[in-house]
Amino acid sequence: MRKYAAIFRIQLLNSLAYPLEFLGRSVMVVMFLWIFFQLWRTVYAVNGSARLEGLSLGDTLWYFMLAESIELGRPRLAQSIAQAVKEGSIAYLLNKPFDFLLYQMSAGLGESAVRMGLTALFGSAVTWWMVGPPPSPLGWLPTLLLVLGAWMLHFCVNALIGLLAFVTEETTPFEWIYQKLTFVLGGLLIPLDFYPRWLQTAARALPFPAMLYGPSRYFVQPEAEAFWRTAGMQLAWLLALGSILVLAYRGGVRRLVINGG
Amino acid sequence: MKTLSFLLQLWKTNLLSAMEYRAAFITQILGMILNNTIYFLIWVIFFERFKEIRGWGLSDMFLVFGVAAAAFGLGVFLFGNALMLSDLIAQGKLDYYLSLPRPVLLHAIASRSVTSGLGDMLYGLLSYCASGLFSPSGLLRFLLGVLLAAAVFVSFMVLAQSLAFWFGNASAFTSLLVNAMITFAIYPVTLFEGGAKFILFTIIPAALMGAVPASFVRAFDGHTLALLALGASVLLVFSVAVFYRGLRRYESGSAIQSQV
Repeated sequence: MRKYAAIFRIQLLNSLAYPLEFLGRSVMVVMFLWIFFQLWRTVYAVNGSARLEGLSLGDTLWYFMLAESIELGRPRLAQSIAQAVKEGSIAYLLNKPFDFLLYQMSAGLGESAVRMGLTALFGSAVTWWMVGPPPSPLGWLPTLLLVLGAWMLHFCVNALIGLLAFVTEETTPFEWIYQKLTFVLGGLLIPLDFYPRWLQTAARALPFPAMLYGPSRYFVQPEAEAFWRTAGMQLAWLLALGSILVLAYRGGVRRLVINGG
Repeated sequence: MKTLSFLLQLWKTNLLSAMEYRAAFITQILGMILNNTIYFLIWVIFFERFKEIRGWGLSDMFLVFGVAAAAFGLGVFLFGNALMLSDLIAQGKLDYYLSLPRPVLLHAIASRSVTSGLGDMLYGLLSYCASGLFSPSGLLRFLLGVLLAAAVFVSFMVLAQSLAFWFGNASAFTSLLVNAMITFAIYPVTLFEGGAKFILFTIIPAALMGAVPASFVRAFDGHTLALLALGASVLLVFSVAVFYRGLRRYESGSAIQSQV
């Protein structure tokens, strides 16, 4: 475990070495949240109600703050894994004394910790300014655990997309489609509570709500039942997707042909 | 005339080069159409629940999304390097274009085509057809609107990316501006008032890429067309002037580069 902790630490320090680059990306959340504020303020005003589907305007904006921080804080691992497979540079990682997937996970976590932290910081500042203080601090620590679970799920899917490079020339479109499915079925731009009932049911049968909606919804209304429901979903999907990832990786490495060095 | 034929040759070469990898070419186009379709579902769900926001309904969103997607696609397919210009400047990669007897800016930005842009263009057209506002004269207005909106988008890209002449590595800032432009272009303009609206017509001219051309496509209006044409022309002239002004400050490490 110590070597993976060291990889995490190195990536963390590496990320901190380029603060302006990260700052630029984190500021993007301010723009998105400001647009959401304009849109949802109008929605609440037009409907003439302080609460819609059990959420106040403040709840909705804090929901978006966390969902956007999770989304913007994720590293684009699929791209770097696919690049390593296509260029053959994966060979340099395969002969090192660590597991390739755990290496990618530790490095990705190191990058995300800085990026997600900064995004949440800027996002919280602007959300507080627009709609008032954040939800109860009692839910912050369990939220962090759910965010970690969401990150692991995202890692599994992203790594699977990256490994597709073993069988297909171009993996970027798969990444776009996965990202947009997360936007829609994960509830990034509209909380699932506002969806038609049939679509809510369909979405909940998939892993996407556990990646964004679950942690964000729990954050604004921290209830034990919501926590255990999301944590349970995350665990079940982690087992399923994690197993597929390990099998795909083993199969991919068997197919790998590297010429020269 | 000579420049136009040079551009046509460049675009032809870019297209042939992209089609060399046929499977990747088709995957990128179809992937982008699917990507945009899934993304647009958000607005279908939104308007299913809330019906109308300050006079904007689903039909308006189909139209504005279609115009913005087609304009973006046209821009990045014909002038793909407009998205990478700040990197070319910061890394001293303009040397190659400076050493050839062709307009530097035009040559640099047209040297790369983003294949998925074709998918955006096709999606834009489909979205316009789905808006329920299709008509033969409307299609002509759509094509003209998209052309002018693409000119606005590419000019804004050149302007934003040229900041690299003054600030060096500005990729984080320029990507923020690019994202702002695209994001604001596909939101109902009626949501924004006062200062915010002023920004969307000037500093980040997203309204000229989405709402204004969409309004022109909906119904012919000389005033809207004049506003769009004027905005596109001013931005174009301004971006070219800023690029060449910045080019005087350009420094390179005389790195040996080859262009394949």
